[in-house]
Amino acid sequence: MKPTRLRATLTALALVPVLVWTLFPIYWITTASFKTELALYAKPPQWLFTPILDNYTRVLTNIPFFQYLKNSLVIAIGTTLGSLVLGTLAGYGFARFRFRASEAVRFLVLVTRMAPRMVLVVPYYLMMQRLGLLDTYTGLLVAYVSFALPFSIWLLVGFFVDVPLDVEEAAMIDGCSRLGVLIRIVIPIAAPGLVVAAIFAFLVSWNEFLFALILSGVEAKTLPVVIAGLNTDAGPLYGEMSAAAVMVMLPNIVMTLVLQRYLVKGLTLGAVKG
Amino acid sequence: MTAGRAGRWFLLPGLVFLFAIDLIPLAYSAWVSFYNWWLIRPRDVRFVGLANYTRFADDPEFTRAVVVTTLFTVGAVLVEFLAGLGLALLFVQPFKFLRPIRVLLLLPLFVVPVVGATMWRVIFHPELGVLNYYLGAVGLAPLPWLSDPRLALVSITLVDAWRTIPFMFLVMYAGLEVLPSELFEAAAVDGASAWQSFRHITVPLLTYIMLLAVLIRGMDAFREFDIIFVLTGGGPGTATQTMQMLNYRAFGLGHMGEANAIGIVTLVIVAVMCLVLMRAVLRPQGARG
Amino acid sequence: MRISRSFRSVAAALLIVLAIAPAAETPVAAQGKTITLSMLAGYKEDVLRANLPEFEKKTGIKVVVDAAPFGDLYKKQLLSLSTGGRYDVLFMDEPWIPPLSEFLLPLNERMKALDTADFIPTTVASGAFNGTQYAVPVDPNVQLLVYRKDLFEQKGLKPPATWDELLADAKALHDPAKQQYGIAITASSDIQTALYMLLAMWSYGAELVDGGKGSLNSAAGKKGGEVFLELLKYTPPNVKSYNFADVNKAIQLGQAAMAIQWASGAKPMEDKQRSSVAGKLGYAQVPKAVRQTPMRGVWTVGIAKNSGNQGAAWQFATWLSGREFGQAAVKFPSATSAIHSPRFSVLKDPATKAALPYADTLLASLQITKERPRLREYADIQENLRVTAGKLTAGELTLDAALKEIDAGTNRILGK
Repeated sequence: MKPTRLRATLTALALVPVLVWTLFPIYWITTASFKTELALYAKPPQWLFTPILDNYTRVLTNIPFFQYLKNSLVIAIGTTLGSLVLGTLAGYGFARFRFRASEAVRFLVLVTRMAPRMVLVVPYYLMMQRLGLLDTYTGLLVAYVSFALPFSIWLLVGFFVDVPLDVEEAAMIDGCSRLGVLIRIVIPIAAPGLVVAAIFAFLVSWNEFLFALILSGVEAKTLPVVIAGLNTDAGPLYGEMSAAAVMVMLPNIVMTLVLQRYLVKGLTLGAVKG
Repeated sequence: MTAGRAGRWFLLPGLVFLFAIDLIPLAYSAWVSFYNWWLIRPRDVRFVGLANYTRFADDPEFTRAVVVTTLFTVGAVLVEFLAGLGLALLFVQPFKFLRPIRVLLLLPLFVVPVVGATMWRVIFHPELGVLNYYLGAVGLAPLPWLSDPRLALVSITLVDAWRTIPFMFLVMYAGLEVLPSELFEAAAVDGASAWQSFRHITVPLLTYIMLLAVLIRGMDAFREFDIIFVLTGGGPGTATQTMQMLNYRAFGLGHMGEANAIGIVTLVIVAVMCLVLMRAVLRPQGARG
Repeated sequence: MRISRSFRSVAAALLIVLAIAPAAETPVAAQGKTITLSMLAGYKEDVLRANLPEFEKKTGIKVVVDAAPFGDLYKKQLLSLSTGGRYDVLFMDEPWIPPLSEFLLPLNERMKALDTADFIPTTVASGAFNGTQYAVPVDPNVQLLVYRKDLFEQKGLKPPATWDELLADAKALHDPAKQQYGIAITASSDIQTALYMLLAMWSYGAELVDGGKGSLNSAAGKKGGEVFLELLKYTPPNVKSYNFADVNKAIQLGQAAMAIQWASGAKPMEDKQRSSVAGKLGYAQVPKAVRQTPMRGVWTVGIAKNSGNQGAAWQFATWLSGREFGQAAVKFPSATSAIHSPRFSVLKDPATKAALPYADTLLASLQITKERPRLREYADIQENLRVTAGKLTAGELTLDAALKEIDAGTNRILGK
């Protein structure tokens, strides 16, 4: 399994169709945002062309885009934090503290994700209405954390269980509390798992449409609802939708670039060997 | 380790939150499914017992939807799991050029589903779309991507795969990254081939993650709605009409009892699928889980 | 350790962000009245927002706009109204009025203060149910026949007046080898398919619901269905996946010689950035057989019964359906569509005719429209119609079976 030039070349070759397949629609959406609709459907398809900015200007002037961006951002970051904190705690709890009904409770956690989301719309709506949380950040935050949490918990359990027990025990003998062990030892070793959980939670919140539609409307309105609004009763506005989608993609890319540094093994080689 | 008193403090916040926010509303929905509640007549709510459920028994449209949903789920999860695993294995190799490409692979996840599906509609357009244009350019016949009943099912699976393979890749890649390299080095020293390493080291250690990925994806594929709705709207005819479409329809018309009944049936089917899968994979392994 | 430190700083930063970001609540007016409007997102919202400052200046009433996409607006309104919601005024598509009437304020008395003679009568009817007026018309829509003047001239054809002529013209202009097709309509499971089929059946004298029973399965219904299926022979291939937007595309990209399309889809056909045939299009009323029945669809504005600001809400409704807004809306520079006023004065205005090439046809069609059945259960009936029409065009059902299934569904829904 030694890395050789042959393997490198084969890998690179294998990646070409993968990247084409993955990136072509992205390229198409991006170019669509700089094209007129006529150009979008041109035959032969236009790969190179003179870009126009009309779609972007229309989206940015007709819609208070930055306000919705702020809404989406705040809610997404909040969701990520909430799921990470609660997920890490619960994940560690399941990983290290077995009790009789452990498995059943953990399955129950997953059950909350088995029903179609639509089923939860009315009870959530009524709940938020009673609590005065309709059209607020908090309302959506609560809903989104509940969507992201089950997977986060299950994922983190898997990563925490893999952390060698002797390292934790050594630290505790040295006087570290459980929580300290979690924060200082387990999390760094399980960092890739946390990265995935974070990206997942962020995306759940960022792309979510149905609950944003029902539970918000004015103050806490998020980007997916705005984009769906570009699917008008007179047909979709391809150019504007693409422009909005491109702008919406950018924060995700930034977030991933920041987080992916932690997506590597061996973060704490010293601690493990010690 | 047994349940120490400290364990409670770790578990309670997340569990209390989840059960309060999710299980109670679910219970509410299940309760509503025993009623006839039409939103336009909020004062005319009647208890009907299992009527909303028994109605499905002799509704061919419902059984067809179950079949379509299952076909889609199985097909999508299979493709996405295998492709995601393959990509993860590819990227775990220690080649420098792989690192910057990782983010590129994740891009489909960042596209709002509605926009992604709308753009795929443009790509799939029979006369004006890019795909058929290039098929024609190499001399093949243009394909009726979204207007042929069987091909439509393939098309929506394709778009779902495009969107979700990055996620499967991400999960399994993270799982592979934390595998201790000493094991692989030792195996290599012992003369094990790549396949043997994979089969006897990677697979057992990665089982939990792979299972989780399949479970989550299975649950989501079964409940998938946005992409299918934009691409085909359930058509042509009822070829891609999934249970979620029926749910959406009932919900959109304000028939809460019926909609919730469909939801609960979905939940039960998914729960059974998950339990079966978990038993099949985890018990023989005797692994943690 | 480096890792936990950066996590800690991230957490701190986030707590700060969350602390400053307000947990916003729905705004309460400090001075003057505020009303909340449930609106359709998109270009109609744009037109409204552009003109709202005028209204707010004139009346001192602040309007909070809660816009939702077309596919979800009804759901949102229904959910809100049914659970004691928070909207004062609602922008509604006319088929929603019968089911929502329970939650709407009757406007009969107030209507007397309006200049109702200026409204096209059928548009006023769109806001009524069982003799009570629940909403005021704002934006009427109707099915039109769109055709390529240049292609018709080339072949020396006149725009068709009857369905037979429509079939003949479509056949004459159908040339698949050159990627030129006779007519663009839909044959998918999209709702438009059902509405095209219904239009054809109506034209031959059939009714969807008659005397409280499903009555589409009749000689007239069958004839209309046959004509509809015949028409599908002269459409672009793959119409089985078409929706509203694809019909537009077929015209805009020069593929189809004709189309039956709602007036709301006409403006993009004249937009040079989207259409290669801008300026080459002619507009006519939908063809007739036994009768001429262009389908009507009017966007209206109504007031919630439990609104705490009924006076302010009525002022808004008056303004939205008024002449000023109507004229401003027509002039709004949106290439994607237009708000058509329900008023004679606005539609006959030369400025309107300059902005909307189809204004004359629109006006003429609006005066002879046919409405879909005004029933609370209509949404369910239409859903059944949609699914069955989709199965018919997909070949899952024969025409006879489809007609039977439509009526059976209608009767089941109406409890017969």
